[in-house]
Amino acid sequence: MKDTTIEIRWHGRGGQGAVTSAELIAMAAIAEGEYAQAFPSFGPERRGAPVLAFNRIDNANPIRARSSVINPDIVAVLDPGLLYITDVVSGLKQNGTLIVNSPKSLVDIKSEFGGPWKLAVVNATAIARELLGVNIVNTTMLGAVVKATGIIKMESLVEPIEERFGARAKRNIDACAKAYKEAEIAEPVAVRARQKREFQVEKWPAWQELLPGCVVIEAGSASQYRTGDWKSQHPESDYSKCIKCGLCYIYCPEGCIVPKLGEEGFFEADMYYCKGCGICAQECPKDVITMVEES
Amino acid sequence: MEKVITMEKNEVPFEEYLAPGHRACTGCGEMLAVRLIAKTLGDDVIIANATGCVEIVSSPLPTTSWRVPWIHTLFENTSAVASGIEAGMKAMTRKGRYSRKTKVVAMGGDGATADIGIQSLSGALERMHEFIYICFDNEAYMNTGVQRSSATPFGASTTTSPAGKQSIGQMTWKKNLPAIVAAHDIPYVATACPSYPLDMINKVEKAMKVKGPAYIHVLSVCPTGWHSQSNATINLGRLAALTGIFPLYEIEQGRYKLNVDPAQLSPIEEYTKLQGRFRHLPPEVLASIQERVTDEYVKLKKKAAEV
Repeated sequence: MKDTTIEIRWHGRGGQGAVTSAELIAMAAIAEGEYAQAFPSFGPERRGAPVLAFNRIDNANPIRARSSVINPDIVAVLDPGLLYITDVVSGLKQNGTLIVNSPKSLVDIKSEFGGPWKLAVVNATAIARELLGVNIVNTTMLGAVVKATGIIKMESLVEPIEERFGARAKRNIDACAKAYKEAEIAEPVAVRARQKREFQVEKWPAWQELLPGCVVIEAGSASQYRTGDWKSQHPESDYSKCIKCGLCYIYCPEGCIVPKLGEEGFFEADMYYCKGCGICAQECPKDVITMVEES
Repeated sequence: MEKVITMEKNEVPFEEYLAPGHRACTGCGEMLAVRLIAKTLGDDVIIANATGCVEIVSSPLPTTSWRVPWIHTLFENTSAVASGIEAGMKAMTRKGRYSRKTKVVAMGGDGATADIGIQSLSGALERMHEFIYICFDNEAYMNTGVQRSSATPFGASTTTSPAGKQSIGQMTWKKNLPAIVAAHDIPYVATACPSYPLDMINKVEKAMKVKGPAYIHVLSVCPTGWHSQSNATINLGRLAALTGIFPLYEIEQGRYKLNVDPAQLSPIEEYTKLQGRFRHLPPEVLASIQERVTDEYVKLKKKAAEV
């Protein structure tokens, strides 16, 4: 039997709606008479953390596989920041498709992430901010995915979106259509663009190495976990106004704001852990701290 | 111990016993409370922690955020486990095999405390075990995706009390857990909120000195479940106290004392308008909530006036 299954991997952040994207595309495919699956990867990660969602769509045969997708035909990246912290093209098939939400131009993205795959770029964040008023790009990205892959028809998305969003459906459909119009597509190139950054992979013990009873003997071992990857904005400080009151230090839920080394009494957030919640900027009595969008 | 001097010359312990790298949502008020409380408790402590957000985000196998002895317990037996640890230490001390004065602390969310674990909590309080119970109240089962608990406030929309045409959200009033605990006549009961960090730290220090059980109920703002901005966490906690929705008080040997007592309560709209879970409420429902909040606050003030 010929393998007719098309697999999609969605890269998003918790709360951004990657799971909804996957569900909507599966519902649209099922409405077109195809077989489809949509499911997220489960973990303890919370809002802001990098998350994965998956689709399988098959126009001929029922889908038996239940595992997560390792070698996708299509990869969609909902958050521009994720491009630089995870290897989004990992396992992407030859002549597959990579769809990226980024404010950068197609040429720039191609120079960084071009390869033997079709590349589509859309500024979904700008479209979502304009039409929806929020930075939730799940429905917007669907437009770009449909344009780049033709995996389903645009019309098929209308009903699932209406069912899911009710009164807000119209705006979501508009955002989806706008992304369809604005997405720019480049054909595959033979040579993969050189990776500028090595991706750090945390090394955890395998299950065989764990102690019976799930005892963890290394105190505070979670501190090797880089929660700094979750943030979409980071704090910047203007120390000339700082009165060293320490409120930012007290109110940081991560405990990552510490007295700065070498300089007397100033506080600084550790970007390895900072999740970009903005509490320090909000609570600073002298407006020393401002939140700056990650680029 | 090294100290950092902050805020009106009050000292806050420097050492962090909750390591960064925990998986809590951005802007989590609960982990902020846990972090400040862990600092205050110090290193001579054993913590029994019920299932819930704190447990999940601080201990995904094979790692832990804790730098003190910590055990994960079930929803229903946190206080029983803490009782056992305390009784065991007492027996070992009597036999001369243990000499430290280690503090036993039980932690649980509002679900673990007000719903599932209330029987074991009541039992441990009645037996007068010397331990501190800290309830981190984020007003629903946030860990599993915002289901209502008995600590969810009236009118809040959750996944199991959704607001819609036939429903205004949660139809019951928040369970008054500190009052239930105080009815056990234990030496120390307090409510706290990390928006008032020094007040909270003081209360933990008091609870550590008490002979017998102590109970602290901590309001933990949850941006995910309350549908609020992640940077509004501290402000929301402050507004909860200033509107009288979550008054900060302590009960020492049966005597009530209000710790934050505004001359005039702020209108509850200031608190509710910042949260998506209350956005659907019509003015007449808000008015009825306001009435009840004011009534409860007057009752509390009366109790605080009795000496």
